[in-house]
Amino acid sequence: MTTENSHKTPSYTITCRMSHEAAALERLCQVVRIRGFRIAKMAVESSIAGADEILEIALTIQGHRPVAMLQSQLEKLHTVAEVILTAPALVPAASRRA
Amino acid sequence: MNGAQHILEAFHRHNIQTVFGYPGGCIMPLYDALVDDARVEHVLCRHEQGCALAADGYARASGKLGVCIATSGPGATNLITGVANAHRDSIPMLVITGQVPSALIGTDAFQETDVLGMTLGIVKHSYLVESADELPEILEEAMALAQTGRPGPVWVDIPKDILLAQTTAMPNSPLAQPEATCPDVGPAIAMLRAAQKPLLYSGGGISLAHAEECFREFAECSALPAVVTLKGIGNPGKHSAHNLGMLGMHGSRAANRAVDECDLLLVIGARLDDRATGKLDGFAPNAQTIHIDADAAEFNKLRSADLTVRGDLNTILGELTRALREAPLAINAWRKQCQIWRTTGGFQAADNEEPLAPITGPAFVRQLSRVAPDDTIIACDVGQHQMWVAQHYQFDHPRHHLTSGGLGTMGFGLPAAIGAQFANRKSTVINVAGDGSFMMNAQELATIRRYNLPVKLIIMDNQCLGMVRQQQELFYNNRESHINLDDNPDFVALARAFDIPALKIERTDQVRRGIETILAYNGPMLLHVAIARQENVWPIVKPGGSNKEMIDETRRLAADKKEMTA
Ligand SMILES: Cc1ncc(C[n+]2csc(CCOP(=O)(O)OP(=O)(O)O)c2C)c(N)n1
Repeated sequence: MTTENSHKTPSYTITCRMSHEAAALERLCQVVRIRGFRIAKMAVESSIAGADEILEIALTIQGHRPVAMLQSQLEKLHTVAEVILTAPALVPAASRRA
Repeated sequence: MNGAQHILEAFHRHNIQTVFGYPGGCIMPLYDALVDDARVEHVLCRHEQGCALAADGYARASGKLGVCIATSGPGATNLITGVANAHRDSIPMLVITGQVPSALIGTDAFQETDVLGMTLGIVKHSYLVESADELPEILEEAMALAQTGRPGPVWVDIPKDILLAQTTAMPNSPLAQPEATCPDVGPAIAMLRAAQKPLLYSGGGISLAHAEECFREFAECSALPAVVTLKGIGNPGKHSAHNLGMLGMHGSRAANRAVDECDLLLVIGARLDDRATGKLDGFAPNAQTIHIDADAAEFNKLRSADLTVRGDLNTILGELTRALREAPLAINAWRKQCQIWRTTGGFQAADNEEPLAPITGPAFVRQLSRVAPDDTIIACDVGQHQMWVAQHYQFDHPRHHLTSGGLGTMGFGLPAAIGAQFANRKSTVINVAGDGSFMMNAQELATIRRYNLPVKLIIMDNQCLGMVRQQQELFYNNRESHINLDDNPDFVALARAFDIPALKIERTDQVRRGIETILAYNGPMLLHVAIARQENVWPIVKPGGSNKEMIDETRRLAADKKEMTA
């Protein structure tokens, strides 16, 4: 039996600024996955800030765990400068599978 | 200077005198540079896992950075378990690997593996060096990163052409570390004062922060009843009157009972790991929690805290001590209660008086604890013997107890003892191993022999994978599955093959002499201790169960009897 709640997975939008080093995106995605979230959408843009190459990443992620936990793990990454979290919304399970 | 020489320069700048490594194709330029460098002692282990675990043991025992080196491909993959081990226990480590030349990366070249990709989840940070000019700065950053904040392993993967390339680049001067400011401890003090049954819960974070002394002062001044995690063993010191011992799956009844009854849990430098807390629902059900740590990501991860304090543990503990010194806590009734539990529910094991009786694990460890000198470092392997050491050995300092906590890596103890002996040349270093664990890195006997390290090796041989056998007995209807090791090699002959003297003991009356013999011997020596196969570690909490439901031998026997008469 499924409950009303189990049909819905909370979804969050996170924007993240990090330096553009080897494996930068893999590192980010690895943390998102292992901390219990799925990436539903991802947009990446690179830019130059002084001597540094910066990545701006917008992520829509889904997961049942507290997103603050993910945020603090992402903030710990050495190359991550900033993580901004926007308010969650519940996504119906159907659209999750789509 | 070429890239390889820059690495050695970085070692000199940071006073790194001992490194553990194994050569091979892509790291050869560094080994070539080592030929001309007398300032760095390179320790050749016999397997890269041995190198990483020795570097880990070196770091744990000394509080300094551990360094390991390997070649690309299989050299790098062999390091992985050791690096993961360091990562899980937040051990400061610099890992250097050679990589195939830059132009060959991604061509499936000989001994190419995607080291950066493979190791993302087991490092604090990692680098693939892309030019010789950036190498000096990367090395500087890597060493700082490994040792600051919450420490951890940092991996620098360096293509061979970069090791050979000349560069005049120098690292920037290190950024000045901001003075540690102390967060406000006022709310924590207020909660401590309001509590009637506060309990101090400390872990490995104390020694990681080099806060052993401040912790000891705080523990003594507050006179709080205290429990420790596996990695916090030694924090309160062996003479502490308030220490209830280790909590958790194989914790003392006293420690688990105090956690169950306390109304305030003061968690310092611990991450509330599942082996310590048991089922979270039932953990410290009546308590508010104050969580103090250097890593904010640990807060509210498993148990939500009523108050979190992030910062340098030395500074915070100093402030807490100052506040409590002015006005001590009035919790005498609670202290008294905990003392009673300490007497009745501490780790107990009768010393066997019967001279011909077989040796039991706990009694052996108690004897070892009595006989070994105070500065002895014990490097454990993983299994029942590890828990007997945790329960029954009296440690006076957390750096004297080297144990693989987070990863639980069988094979940790022998290489870790090698690292610890290099870090503390004069201390007694003992590896306490199980027969299963010992065989995981037995090749490192050759390292002990080569450097003539006076490491003492104790194998507690129950002819099986005891910890797994115990769980099969208790939780899988005694259906033994692939745990039998009754075809072990002759360990005494094995040691002798490495030119290490050894002796075997089997009876209680041989224990003291056996221990004294290996301790007195001027050099490495192995003691093969035969113990009963069926012996279990008590008490135990069923995996996933609540710490309240501890099973001990008498309770299990009663349950068996009931089943038989039913
Ligand atoms: C590398 C590794 N493989 C498997 C395990 C699972 N494991 C945990 S304890 C244990 C048995 C250890 O046996 P032994 O070293 O003889 O110690 P004992 O429990 O008998 O004291 C095993 C297989 C592990 N922790 N590490």
